[in-house]
Amino acid sequence: MTESQLFSQFLSGVSRGMILFFISSGLTLIFGVMNILNFAHASFWLVGAYFTWTFWKIFYSPTFGLWLSIPLAALTMAGIGWIIEVLLIRRVYNRTLSEQLLLTYALVLIIGDVIKLTWGVEDRIVARPPMVDGFVNLFGAPFPTYYIFVITLGGFVAWGLWWLLHKTKFGRTVRASVFSREMVGALGIPVHRIYTGVFALSLFTAGLAGGVQAPISSITLGMDMSIIVECFAVVVIGGFGSLTGALVGSLIVGLVYAFAILVIPKMALVLIFVVTAIVLIVRPWGLFGTPMRA
Amino acid sequence: MINLGILRSSVGWLVLALAISIVLPLVVGVFWVHVLTEILIMGLFATSFNLLFGYMGQLSFGQAAYYGVGAYTTALMITKASIPLPLCMVASVLMAGLWALIFGYFCVRLTGIYFAILTMAFGQLVFYIIFQWYSFTGGDNGIQGIPAPLLLQDAYAYYYFTLALVIAALIVMRFITNSPFGYTMRAIRDNSDRTRFIGINIRRYMLINFVIAGMFAGLAGSLWAPFNRSIAPDLANWAHSGIPVFMAVIGGPLGFFGPLVGSVVYTFLSAFVTGFTEYWPIVIGIIIIFIVLFLPGGILGTFQQKTMPVGTNYPEKKETS
Repeated sequence: MTESQLFSQFLSGVSRGMILFFISSGLTLIFGVMNILNFAHASFWLVGAYFTWTFWKIFYSPTFGLWLSIPLAALTMAGIGWIIEVLLIRRVYNRTLSEQLLLTYALVLIIGDVIKLTWGVEDRIVARPPMVDGFVNLFGAPFPTYYIFVITLGGFVAWGLWWLLHKTKFGRTVRASVFSREMVGALGIPVHRIYTGVFALSLFTAGLAGGVQAPISSITLGMDMSIIVECFAVVVIGGFGSLTGALVGSLIVGLVYAFAILVIPKMALVLIFVVTAIVLIVRPWGLFGTPMRA
Repeated sequence: MINLGILRSSVGWLVLALAISIVLPLVVGVFWVHVLTEILIMGLFATSFNLLFGYMGQLSFGQAAYYGVGAYTTALMITKASIPLPLCMVASVLMAGLWALIFGYFCVRLTGIYFAILTMAFGQLVFYIIFQWYSFTGGDNGIQGIPAPLLLQDAYAYYYFTLALVIAALIVMRFITNSPFGYTMRAIRDNSDRTRFIGINIRRYMLINFVIAGMFAGLAGSLWAPFNRSIAPDLANWAHSGIPVFMAVIGGPLGFFGPLVGSVVYTFLSAFVTGFTEYWPIVIGIIIIFIVLFLPGGILGTFQQKTMPVGTNYPEKKETS
């Protein structure tokens, strides 16, 4: 195998990892702040992809349609997240782990059918804008320009979330409420609104991720069911609630998959779960996490 | 007036349930006999899952793996070697138990959310192995045309065969949960630290329980293969692991018969609703949300709280996290 082949496989792993990071960042954010593992996160991601398709159809412009559709889809998802937090998620903060998991799992089933009712069962395809539809030559290997866009945007999302959580008042309040909800509340800050905001933010990133996914492959029903377990793998490997962990975990999962598929194609997905299991056994809180509720 | 006292005795309920399960197939059509068989098989699966969830306080999201191992063991032995069903069943139970032993060894080291995800990761491992191993398991084509033994070809015969086996399995599980071992499991669920302090090796106990649960899940899977005549890798997927969780939560995880009640409600509703709409998931999703928000003890838990004489405390749901 030549170096350029290895390098292109490396890039494909990084791209796959970046997409996983897009989705997992929101998942780990909710877990870190609210201690809720959201089974439905990938379902929201898929809804975001479908919304992108809808907006893209409305704008009907190959050049700028997608650039408008992705942020619009993300904003729509943030609005949906706001409503769902207020109606449902808020009611289970003090419930057992299993009840929280079940509630979000029920959302997976409901969203799956809502997608079917709204967008039908056909696959939806979004074309890449001409600007990012080519290939560039990286060290002798052709690499789709679209993935460069994905990787760049992924980097921006990672930086943006970090900036929001560490450099703004909102972020400081969020981090404070992770340590002591009561204390933050006692200081006169409406904690429930902070939580709603975090949930909406998490769905915003899910919408972005869905929008970015839309032109990669056709959008199909059931995509959410297989990607969510990979996102769990990412969050487990990186550590629950850690953004850095989600980034590293995504890259690990993406790269393991990209290289395993060269050597033992049939075992690539199995290998990811082997890695996940090993991390859970050796270091249950993941590479970058801190031991949380056991 | 009907004497309501009978409603308070569980023996009365059991006799009633047994009578119904024997008589009902004779008065309903063959479609509902299939539904009833499914209720029994899934009820067995859900009850075995509840050994972990209700009695040990750990949520497993990977029980479908052992169910799938059971189903595939039976299906492969029948289609590839025409081995008699009883032998297949024994092999299925042992195979599922073996996998539960290997995976459980690691799983019981964790609790709460980590336990849930590790069981899920192992479950997906089994799923992808079945899914990818075309030459042996048929991959995503699954296995078709699994014959039931001649005696059990008839839907009614298979129903009564299943009924007898499921009742036997329930008696064994009931015996286990009411034994000192079962009470040790409850002690681990309610306070694992104190249980450790009195000298109990909680990991070993949890592992034994995990293996038992896996074996019964394997038995349920083994019953499923010749009943459904065809199987697919989805049987081992995490989405399928959610069904016994739903059943236990609908029925109530803190009573022994809760998951069985859940299976009756879930399977019956599923058969009924899918009769006129394909949108069954949205229906069950809304039901689950309703139960989580408003009936946290499940049907049986809520019912028992209402009918139990004053002073009998239905155990409070424990924090499983």
